[in-house]
Amino acid sequence: MSFFYLPKTRVFSPGRYWLGCALAAALLATGPAAQAQAPRPARPDTLLSRRQNRLPEARVRAVRPERFAVGSRRLELDSAVLAQYRGSTVADALGARSDLYIKNYGPGQLATISLRGTAAQHTAVLWNGLNIALPTLGQNDLALLPISGNTQLAVQPGPAAALYGSGAVGGAIVLRTEPDWRPGLRGTVQADAGSFGLRGTSLEARAATPALAVRVAASYREAQNNYPYYLQEPAGRVRYTLQNAALRHQWSFSPDLAWRVGKAGELTATVWLTDADREIQSGTGVAGSNAREIDQSRRLVLGYRRATRRGGQWQVRGAWFEDIINYSDQGAVSNSRVRTTQAQAEHTAALGRRASLRLGLEAQHFAAVVDGYGAEPITENRAAAFALLRYDVRPTLRLSANVRQAALPAGLAPLTPTLGVEWDVFQPFGVDSLIQTDRPGLTFKASAARTYRAPTLNERYWRPGGNPDLRAESGQGYEVGLRHRVGRPARLLLETELTFFNQLVDNWVQWLPLGPGGAYSPRNLRQVRSQGLEASTALRLRRGQYRASARLSYGYTQTQKTRGVAADTDPVGLQLAYVPLHRASLGTDHAWRGWLASATATFSSYVYTDASADSFLPAVALLGATLGRTVALPGRTSLTLLLQSTNLLDRRYQSYPARPAPPRAYSVSLRFNYP
Amino acid sequence: MKKTLLALLSAAVLVGCNPDKEIGPAIPGSPGVFVLSEGQFGKGDGTVSAFGTGTKSLLVDAFGTINGNAMLGDVVQDMGLANGRGYICVNASNKVEVVDAGTFKSVATIRNIRQPRYFASTSSARGYVTSWRGPYTSYQPGKVMVLDLNSNTVIDSITVGRNPEQLLAVGGLLYVPNSYDNTISVIDAATNKVTATVTVTAGPKTVVADQTGNLWALCSQPYGATSTPPASLVRFAAGSTTASLTLPFASSGASQLRISPDKTQLYYSYGGAEYRLSTSATALPTTPFIRRSFNGFGIDPRDGVIYAAVSTGYTTNGRFVRYPAAGGAAIDSFTVKVGPNGFVFY
Repeated sequence: MSFFYLPKTRVFSPGRYWLGCALAAALLATGPAAQAQAPRPARPDTLLSRRQNRLPEARVRAVRPERFAVGSRRLELDSAVLAQYRGSTVADALGARSDLYIKNYGPGQLATISLRGTAAQHTAVLWNGLNIALPTLGQNDLALLPISGNTQLAVQPGPAAALYGSGAVGGAIVLRTEPDWRPGLRGTVQADAGSFGLRGTSLEARAATPALAVRVAASYREAQNNYPYYLQEPAGRVRYTLQNAALRHQWSFSPDLAWRVGKAGELTATVWLTDADREIQSGTGVAGSNAREIDQSRRLVLGYRRATRRGGQWQVRGAWFEDIINYSDQGAVSNSRVRTTQAQAEHTAALGRRASLRLGLEAQHFAAVVDGYGAEPITENRAAAFALLRYDVRPTLRLSANVRQAALPAGLAPLTPTLGVEWDVFQPFGVDSLIQTDRPGLTFKASAARTYRAPTLNERYWRPGGNPDLRAESGQGYEVGLRHRVGRPARLLLETELTFFNQLVDNWVQWLPLGPGGAYSPRNLRQVRSQGLEASTALRLRRGQYRASARLSYGYTQTQKTRGVAADTDPVGLQLAYVPLHRASLGTDHAWRGWLASATATFSSYVYTDASADSFLPAVALLGATLGRTVALPGRTSLTLLLQSTNLLDRRYQSYPARPAPPRAYSVSLRFNYP
Repeated sequence: MKKTLLALLSAAVLVGCNPDKEIGPAIPGSPGVFVLSEGQFGKGDGTVSAFGTGTKSLLVDAFGTINGNAMLGDVVQDMGLANGRGYICVNASNKVEVVDAGTFKSVATIRNIRQPRYFASTSSARGYVTSWRGPYTSYQPGKVMVLDLNSNTVIDSITVGRNPEQLLAVGGLLYVPNSYDNTISVIDAATNKVTATVTVTAGPKTVVADQTGNLWALCSQPYGATSTPPASLVRFAAGSTTASLTLPFASSGASQLRISPDKTQLYYSYGGAEYRLSTSATALPTTPFIRRSFNGFGIDPRDGVIYAAVSTGYTTNGRFVRYPAAGGAAIDSFTVKVGPNGFVFY
């Protein structure tokens, strides 16, 4: 969708940009001529059934949770951007294309996200609506989530437990694989090669008939990661080659199937298998480590969705996950295997013309065999009930109210309601459509939520020190903001967004040597306040065969511990470690007649590496670029050549203490598309 | 486009200016004490700070400041002074850093010493470093590496018991406590051979010699072990392989055996407090000397002032507290880097 055409001059000059803005404003002032109306469906016209699209009418289309997330921000990487990262992982895509702070131990190494100053376990990662966090750790390694097979990657910052469940304290990452109902057979095969031994291949094949859509996606990747780095030693700067950081292999295989049953039902089966074998880099100061880790995940989801006569739908889903981590270092071995069984049932009903209500239940069962828990397998059950309400008082005033109550083994989790409002303060012309996407004008948005994080299996059962009486972490926060849109998506669209947020996390779990014999044991100890602002502006331009988009975003995050206890000696009132005060990113994509060019620049200010706010990693600014060319071949096929570069400025920096980041690196991809 | 990008980036860099880092002067002159901070494992941020006891001036991270911001390494375990030089055992980096004791300028780096623990010397030409072998799930018999202090190279290695810790060089002999076994290896420094093995009740970590020439060892549960035998303070004569006095504790956990400069008072940490007893005592003291748990303990040989390291976990900077020789209220305290664990007086 961001393949645009270039006008006469190749360089994007500011003069033309302002001229384009002025033209757009002039066009808009002339009248509400071109707002397209959706075709009227046969069923009653409700909030759920209206769709503004031109695809063949789907009989049952999923109502996504985002419809109940009124007032929240949403950062989405669209399919065109994801196409540049097909062989990569979520860590690469989010790290390069957004201003989100990814704590990265190196290429292919552990990468976790920190949303709004919270920790890695405070971001819920959902795949097709189900939480895929490792039950043992309660967090996700984003380097173990290949993009392959996923059609959507979005991030929603802010507390959102009512929508996404446990762990959505700082925010949620939402991955989705949507079936592609376009008829016919499509496929792509891609081969990658890059610096420091990077080799990869990926393929995707889809076929659809009116009743059945099938997709198979697979990817493979390996890298030596033997890049040079420099250490400051007494003799001067000494050059070393990184050892023991190779990605031996990482493959992902995800077939999925969607089958329309009758007139109102849809059956989906989605499978995602990932397997990664990595050498773990222990730090440049640690000698003689041969740490290695095998991570395997098997995920299977079966779902059935059926539309009801009155415009609603109900859905049941069952999921089976298995996560394996096998770690070894010079004879020390730690293995773990967790099996998760989940069931989810929800019913979405239309309440009149302007409201919809979703009620749901879900249950999870965990069975873990982990070396650290002892010889006995551990099981745990959790359940939750939720209600989501979306009410559009008027087309220009949209409200949502959600609530979730979870039951955890140690007792009930806190009740977590969410309230959200969006109000179109000003619009250049009246709109009576129920659809609010891409509506120009000024919108005020606000959201307040309570949230929780269930204690992980490690926190409850680790020997020694596991604390089964641990309470869930709780949190609450609010955000207010403005969003301004001018233009139309077909020609020129400028969107600016400004959000202020403030949130508190309470009963934050800390591991301290408070257990028997001085063993480390988790306790609910800490309270942390995080506040800041997020600003972004995005421009999309379409002129004939030229398409361009540019996005500038900035985030300011101040996160401090506000209250602790005597046992937790980290000082109060200082910026937390690994939370940069300022982050910014600038990305631009251009497309013209088969040519593609994009550049991304990210900036992160200094981060403290300890709680004393003393040692720090210096600020770092990175630049990446992509150049591509698509050539049409006979038989409706095409060939795309993509050249990518990361760290184009060849910055020498550490992404984490004693973990040097790679210098300038290149990669080449050759992709064959049909059609 | 590139120009606007560069302008934007430079503006952003100004916005995100790094905090100021002061470059200090030279290390405070003698009398002083080097304070060792282990750093957090994996971050490579071990440091040695220098404190001038007369001037009360503190140079945090002496090695980095003097040597152009070089990183000392991962987990600074011990430091010894010999031959006008300091020998810093950097445990996780498998090396011993050699610095000039007066200026802290780096002289040499002795690499490939696996898991070095503690340093001792018998003369200005011979140094010894205890070295562990094996991962934490299956430790093997460790070694004592013999160093030539003039060329700063390893010239020999002696196999001892598992996980040898703080060794003592006295009277031409080396006493090496093997903390994962219940033994102390006695090595003849002239021949570099183990000549005797003393058996004790649990894993010994430190051996000290008192004014009569007897040797004392504090034995407690070894690192990484799951069983917790009661600790004991053991005394044995210089030529003997069996204990002449065994003072048992009620439980495990006794550590950090130290001896006063005049070698008449022993200090140890047990049950969250520091205790002191005379070398002629026949029973353990019941009342603590200082009611506080410390991560490191040292006594200034010049004035007897006690230096105690307080570590608040591995995510915050620790500090050291000074107490008068007779105990009582603290004199003052200073902040150093993460995980302070030891003191070397110069």
